[in-house]
Amino acid sequence: MSSSSSSSSSPPCPKKMITLKSSDGETFEIEEIAALQSKTLENMIDENCASTPIPLPNVKGKILAKVVEFCTKHAEAGADAETLRAWDAEFVGVEHAIVFDYILAANFLEIPTLLDLACESVAEMIKGKTPDEIRKFFNINNAFSPEEEEDVRRQNQWAFE
Amino acid sequence: MGQVPSSASTSPEPSHRGISSSQRLDSLPSLEELIPSFDEDEEEGEEGGGGGGGGGGYDYTGDLPDECLAHVFHFLGTGDRKRCSAVCRRWLRVDGESRHRLSLNARAELLPSLPSVFARFDAVAKLALRCDRKSISLGDEALVLISFKCRSLTRLKLRGCRELTDLGVAAFAENCTRLRKLSCGSCSFGARAINAVLDHCVNLEELSIKRLRGIHDGAEPIGPGAAAKSLRSICLKELINGQCFAPLLVGARKLSTLKLIRCLGDWDNVLQTIGGSNPGLLEVHLERIQVSDCGLSGIANCKGIETLHVVKVPECSNLGLSSIAENCRQLRKLHIDGWRINRIGDEGLVEVAKQCLQLQELVLIGVGVTHSSLGLIGSNCRKLERLAFCGSNTVRDAEIACIAAKCEALKKLCIKNFPVSDVGIESLSQGCPNLVKIKVKCRGMSGQVVELLKERRGSLVFNLDACEIEAVDDIGVQESAVEFPPANASDVPSGSNERSMLYRAKLGLFAGRNLVACTFRRWSNGENSSNGKS
Repeated sequence: MSSSSSSSSSPPCPKKMITLKSSDGETFEIEEIAALQSKTLENMIDENCASTPIPLPNVKGKILAKVVEFCTKHAEAGADAETLRAWDAEFVGVEHAIVFDYILAANFLEIPTLLDLACESVAEMIKGKTPDEIRKFFNINNAFSPEEEEDVRRQNQWAFE
Repeated sequence: MGQVPSSASTSPEPSHRGISSSQRLDSLPSLEELIPSFDEDEEEGEEGGGGGGGGGGYDYTGDLPDECLAHVFHFLGTGDRKRCSAVCRRWLRVDGESRHRLSLNARAELLPSLPSVFARFDAVAKLALRCDRKSISLGDEALVLISFKCRSLTRLKLRGCRELTDLGVAAFAENCTRLRKLSCGSCSFGARAINAVLDHCVNLEELSIKRLRGIHDGAEPIGPGAAAKSLRSICLKELINGQCFAPLLVGARKLSTLKLIRCLGDWDNVLQTIGGSNPGLLEVHLERIQVSDCGLSGIANCKGIETLHVVKVPECSNLGLSSIAENCRQLRKLHIDGWRINRIGDEGLVEVAKQCLQLQELVLIGVGVTHSSLGLIGSNCRKLERLAFCGSNTVRDAEIACIAAKCEALKKLCIKNFPVSDVGIESLSQGCPNLVKIKVKCRGMSGQVVELLKERRGSLVFNLDACEIEAVDDIGVQESAVEFPPANASDVPSGSNERSMLYRAKLGLFAGRNLVACTFRRWSNGENSSNGKS
């Protein structure tokens, strides 16, 4: 049955599984305990809506698979902080488009750990760049007029580091 | 990207990438160069994972809801946030809306920009206004304007805002009634301003006042005010007439932290009164003030005191310390700087050892202790985790051996400038089974004993320094500081800062820092964040 490798002292019980359904129709199973990391799912479980597959229209299958992986990993007992950190770093070491998908999924599912991880990862992409470098990196159109830009710059000089 | 070069009307800017160098613009202090660099940058900015941002030309940040973008900004420091705000209109808006903490260069020239600054940052809860000594600061008009824009301000920090008067501060207080923390330093307003704050800011929890010029000898009494019921922490520093705060100090019945540092006048009476009226006092810090054993005995009536700092208070002796020990059985942290005057020593510490069994942290500077009291501390205070000594000739090998043998719970040890030899240091290789960190700086220590220590206690974090006799260090400064306030103010240099120098001379100030105490402040702040200082 459950090939649990955790050193838990609680009596062994069959792992309760929840089924999630992505926007493109894929289904995924996730242990209830891992699902509880999502406040959204936690609420649904509490209200007993979790017997049938939970539709998540905002999350594609490809991303949902990774979210399930993340939650499962973070729900593991006995993981030491350093190993988890390294795992997390690898988890977000992917294409930027995917990191943004993680943010959206974590926001929708209310998973604070994943939200922090993905947002911090984007923050790292921003750190140390000039405004122009940031624009180029993220393909952002600068809609400032020269006067507006000057205003912002002047104002920013009044703010201390 | 087709950027129009910004046509700054003042000085023409050469195109450059600005991030590594700072440029002077106008005569304003430049902090970060925000003019976007032109086409000189060839980088695609392909950092991080594969794919980068260049591929496809799609702006993924546009998909993020505002609160997610704000969440990203939350991980950035002020410098990066400033650069983000210059990226595009949306980022400017999101940054402005999500900035709760703002620190401004509070010069008078800022006044015209204030409305637009606070239109942009419309969610500021914590504000700092700092003005350097050479500039004219913002005045009352600015503060009142700010108070209208930031009505939900919870914290205000003022530094060097010399143009602010009682009127301006009072008007501010009337608008910003949700203030919880006020910290002012080197300003010129006075008692009337503080009273206005106490009357209007009914939720005030922390008050910190340093060098307020308006609190002169003729100042009106301060407090208690409506805020007396909510105040938890009061810190008064370098005031000529700190005594006028007496009604507040006594009236703040929920006070848990009191710090009196370098304030003139005799504080015995006030402390005795506080002893009777503020039972909840947990932390007391007395430094360079005129207090005798009477005052110490008085404050000892606050039986719940857990943290006590008695620093350079020459009129306190073993008697006062014994009184504290007898009454304050919950004492956890005790810092004494005896200033090498030897009025506090073994006798007082023996009492501490007998009564204060909860002691966790002990810092002794310039206090002549020997193994007779240290041994008892070691045997009785079973919870003692952090111990630091500095500046006393009485701690020798026997004392170190005693600590090693008796202090079983000890985790961190710091000893500085003692005539110990290898024998003493070697004893540390055996005892103190729970030791995690050790910091030793003494002459007479050889390289071999250091090696031995490292060998036997491999898991320890070491910080060892065999310092030379001639070395000038913090202790050197301290030694020269045994003199009291300088008698001759004529040494004061003339100039625009003359008044402030005279002010300082009157208070007998000098910049002596204590390394050991700093170490422990770092250590104990890391361990508990009960002291709400940011």
